[in-house]
Amino acid sequence: MSDQSKLRLASDIGGTFTDVAVFDEASGKLTFGKALSTPQRLVEGINNGVAKTGADYKDAGLFLHGSTIAINTILERKGAKTALIITKGFRDIYEIGRINRPDSYNLFFQKHEPLVERALRFEVNERVLADGEVEKPLDDKEIEALGDHLSSIGMEAVAILFLHCYRNADHEKRAKEILQKKHPNLFVSASHELSQEYREFERCSTAVANAYVGPKVDRYIGEIDEHLRGAGFKGSFLIVQSTGGLYAADQARQYCIRMLESGPAAGVIGTRTLCHTLGLKNAIAFDMGGTTAKAGVIHDGEPLTTGSALLGGYEKALPVQIAMMDIFEVGTGGGSIAKVEDGMLRVGPQSAGASPGPVCYGLGGTEPTVTDANLVLGRLSADRFLGGEMKLDVEGAKKALLKNIGTPLGMDAIASADGILRIAITAMSYAVKGVTTERGLDVGDYVLAAYGGAGPLHAVEVARELGMRRVIIPTAPGVFSAYGMLFSDLRYDFVRTWFTRLDDASFDAIEAVYKELEDEGRAAIDAAKVKPEEIAIRRAVDMRYVGQEHAVTVDVPMEVFQSKDRTAMKKHFDEQHEIRYGTNAPAERAEIVSLRTAVSGIMLKPPQEKIAAGGADPKAAFNGNRSVYYEAVGFVETPTYTRDKLLAGNKVTGPALIEEHASTTVLAPDDQLTVNAYGHLEIAVAGRK
Amino acid sequence: MATSTTAPKKKADPVVTEIIRNGVIAVTEEMKTNLMRTAYNTIIYEALDFTTGLFTAEGETISIGIGLPMFIRGMSETVKSKIRHFGIDNIVAGDILITNDSYTTGSHLNHVTLTMPIFHEGTLAAFSCCMAHWIDIGGVLGGVTTDIYSEGLQIPFLKLHRAGVVNQDLVDFIRMNVRVPTRALGDLRAQVTAVKTGERRFFQLLERYGREPVLAAVEAIMNHSEVGARARTLTIPDGVYEAESFMDDDGISIGKRVPIRVKVTVKGEEMTVDLTDVSNQVQGFYNSGITTGYACAQVAYKCLTSPTDYPINDGSFRSLNVIVPSGRVISAVRPAPMRWWMTFPMTIVDTIFKAMAKAIPDRTIAGHHADLIAAGFHGVNPKTKEFYFGNFGPLGGGWGAKMTEDGVSATVCINDGDTHNSASEMTEVKTPCVVESLRLVEDSGGAGQYRGGLGVERIVRARAPCVFSSQIERAHCKPWGLEGGDEATGNSIALRVDGKWKADFPNAKMVMATLKVGDAYLLRSGGGGGYGPAWERPAEKVAEDVRQGYVTPEAAADSYGVVIDPKSFAVDKAATDKKRAALKAARATA
Repeated sequence: MSDQSKLRLASDIGGTFTDVAVFDEASGKLTFGKALSTPQRLVEGINNGVAKTGADYKDAGLFLHGSTIAINTILERKGAKTALIITKGFRDIYEIGRINRPDSYNLFFQKHEPLVERALRFEVNERVLADGEVEKPLDDKEIEALGDHLSSIGMEAVAILFLHCYRNADHEKRAKEILQKKHPNLFVSASHELSQEYREFERCSTAVANAYVGPKVDRYIGEIDEHLRGAGFKGSFLIVQSTGGLYAADQARQYCIRMLESGPAAGVIGTRTLCHTLGLKNAIAFDMGGTTAKAGVIHDGEPLTTGSALLGGYEKALPVQIAMMDIFEVGTGGGSIAKVEDGMLRVGPQSAGASPGPVCYGLGGTEPTVTDANLVLGRLSADRFLGGEMKLDVEGAKKALLKNIGTPLGMDAIASADGILRIAITAMSYAVKGVTTERGLDVGDYVLAAYGGAGPLHAVEVARELGMRRVIIPTAPGVFSAYGMLFSDLRYDFVRTWFTRLDDASFDAIEAVYKELEDEGRAAIDAAKVKPEEIAIRRAVDMRYVGQEHAVTVDVPMEVFQSKDRTAMKKHFDEQHEIRYGTNAPAERAEIVSLRTAVSGIMLKPPQEKIAAGGADPKAAFNGNRSVYYEAVGFVETPTYTRDKLLAGNKVTGPALIEEHASTTVLAPDDQLTVNAYGHLEIAVAGRK
Repeated sequence: MATSTTAPKKKADPVVTEIIRNGVIAVTEEMKTNLMRTAYNTIIYEALDFTTGLFTAEGETISIGIGLPMFIRGMSETVKSKIRHFGIDNIVAGDILITNDSYTTGSHLNHVTLTMPIFHEGTLAAFSCCMAHWIDIGGVLGGVTTDIYSEGLQIPFLKLHRAGVVNQDLVDFIRMNVRVPTRALGDLRAQVTAVKTGERRFFQLLERYGREPVLAAVEAIMNHSEVGARARTLTIPDGVYEAESFMDDDGISIGKRVPIRVKVTVKGEEMTVDLTDVSNQVQGFYNSGITTGYACAQVAYKCLTSPTDYPINDGSFRSLNVIVPSGRVISAVRPAPMRWWMTFPMTIVDTIFKAMAKAIPDRTIAGHHADLIAAGFHGVNPKTKEFYFGNFGPLGGGWGAKMTEDGVSATVCINDGDTHNSASEMTEVKTPCVVESLRLVEDSGGAGQYRGGLGVERIVRARAPCVFSSQIERAHCKPWGLEGGDEATGNSIALRVDGKWKADFPNAKMVMATLKVGDAYLLRSGGGGGYGPAWERPAEKVAEDVRQGYVTPEAAADSYGVVIDPKSFAVDKAATDKKRAALKAARATA
């Protein structure tokens, strides 16, 4: 890093906007930029965003990036020509899947659609047994011949899945080596590189998804890298993973699937930072945009992660078995369309998106949305949306509400709008319940941190619905994912299925597995060419009672392994089981299913800057009054404030609106807001009337 | 069963109704999540053989989870029976009522049902209920049972909790009557968690929105389902529709077919399903109780009229009448054996679809494999020296084609819904076996203008001596086609003993076969029936099926009349035209 390289650049590409956050290590200053995404050539959107911040690539030591490219490639089915190589006898497991029919009474149900058609799934003679023993050795010649065939039919990518590779990966490794040697342009993805966990269908789907997006992600990252270097960037280029951790761009070009949900994950990392700054242990990261609302959890200072996810709707989902932020999503956003179906009022999951958008955008939308409801109730300003860049059509929204909702149900436009919001609020509360009560966590113990364009509009009502007492709206909620990236660490997650009864477990053997995985993690950090402050390792063990099916992931402190303390490990498991499910059985024996570890390279974090302080009276920020509708009381004359002009220590009692460029925070009567030292809005939620 | 629409006492608020609709679905889901994650057996956790739900104070279904469609009636009838048994005034807050009575639930003794009243301000408002399949409930191991007494412990209507206090006598009694008490009592605890979750969460809805508005919303939701079902029924031409099919046998009188005859009458917005001519109850364990007879008709009715109306509730069935005299195979009376209760009803549902095919061709479906294909093996694991039950869950199989699309392959039968198979890697770790293959069976789907889905085959080799048994049906009565579509292959089993395959069994039932190390068993599920004449299927689609290996070149020629080069997959048009004309002529003379 040269002396001038004092900038840390973060860019998050979303469907509509590309957000950029810049941290200047010399001055401690944070700047943000927001530009429209440019789907044809995404790098232009990044350039435009960076230009708005006034930063220069030459001055940057780090370029951090999150993108939806991997997930969109899968959802839009625009990936590479991909083949699958698999253990003999198992060619069809990718198509057979788990055989379930979630839509049980629908005779027209459809299964998941594999990313690789049957004709391109090839079996090879090899077999490893459950204990890792080789029953049938791999035939190198067979792989060579297959490689030539794949190349002759124009394959760009290939995934390899051999059974029980988590116990013995030799065959997968050798097959990959043979293919790559002769066909260097073929993108090869072996399942053990992504998941060393049992469940062949899920692991297969993971390896195939990686191969399928591989060539495209590789080109994409290559293009950005080239562009950055061309613009004089000399620092490290890192990508955000679905865990919120960073990895080197070169690694992302091989293990592409790990960047699947980078944007949402970065938002949760931003929330973790918020927690650390404010000394909070537990928070919900609540992100509401145009089409969805998402909730993640910070528990005891750290985000909760999960080991798998489903891509696409549940009925036809393709599973991926990798570490990810545990995020629950519901199809409710600002653009969610409200309609009357068979006499019932429904909100979402269909969204008007950015185009045609809500009726009030005046871009051709005719179906009323959540945003239209907000406008009609006075919660959004017709003249100050996006800092006044866009005028909103109140009358149009009102008419659409009356026509589509009010008239069929015998209500006026106001009651219709209020009804839409109440339904949307309860729907969003299920996203938060999905990651708390359904995980055995008491939502009352958490603070709701809300961001995304629409998060602050609804945060207080969602919190009230759930009985949460405190809401925080961070600074710059509209670019919070890009902000979160600045606080991310290098991180490499590993899991290996390792069955043993706890009573028989050999701590030496377990330590050997961990050492192998963690050495790989350290090597990856070295390869990333960024010097972290320190290396941190967090271990967890998937355990269950003997005879039980579902395993629980239990964080186990390093001391337990060092002291080889079986009893302590059991105790951690019993406790976790009690927390998650409300029951446990300490008298019963337990078994280990998988070993997990996360190796992090802790990066130096930007310091938190305080804002100017003022008194309790927010008069400097006051900018007028308008009539706003509240559920319990109807229309009330409500003061509005400009967020940028609020000072630390200012207090506002609801009803009130706090307006900023891309967002509005709504306080109902009796909600109490305090601007904290860093400029975040801290809200004490009034009880339900 | 049909009742007329009663106008709600108070008009329900449409916003609150939608909130409550989402609310009861969420409560049911949370009950499901809690039960699943704390359960002790694969059948609950992986196979999701359980159902959770909320019921009105009278026992009508407000919302039930989707684990097991054929249990659509079992829970509501069990709740109603419990109300009758105890008397509504003798059910108090904190009670948990239990039973596994087969003749009430309609199913086998493994289905243990827990019910908890939900009181609000001292008044009964609803019930929360949960059924789950226990891995063992005692009774004989293996073989075909011929009465209920050999099938295990029967638990009458009892209170498991009395006003919040555990009835320890009952728990101890259960403990002594099951083979693996830790698992059974673990599952019992999981079920208690589930009904308590339902109770707490529905109570919260009552607190939040008020008792009257919530109950009015519940009524509005059920009325809405009724209106939808009636409107859809009205679109079915009035008439009497009949169909017939057969089961292989009852496991005792081998080869003696068991007839299934159904008669459906549609008049205006109501449907009557008459199951009078379904076979009488049988000697072997394929019987089910009358609630399952009703369930057969309801599952078929919901599939045809309101398949994606959620929550699943009893409003959808007010326009359906079901006639089931006592003593039929789906309305069996004590002491009929019930252990494989779920098998025959699936074929009854399929036969109702067959009956309706003439009336509503665009909404029905050709026959499917109609069996769980869940054969298992047991023995002593040489590594742990412990007794084990080995099982991969249901195999999945082919589903029938429809008027507008091909059938789906490798999917669980209609008895089950969101049910999963077990991973091969997982079962190989837990039990001494090796899966040699798990694959789609080419040519198993019935040929047709729309092709039936493909069946699945799994071959499992023993790594230690074990005992294999199967109870699989429909080896002979194959999944039928519709409107000239061909039938599919049936279900089958085979054994490899000392390296030699043997498949010439009289049916797909194997009472008990001992496998040595290296011996293997094979399970193969049938495909789905085809729809429309096979010669109507575009030749390019047949060629694509051949390219993918779903259809062999031979079957393409023989069944579809499409002549395809097995290397280039090119269609020989002249040869195809000739072959297809011959197929058509042969069918005309047949």
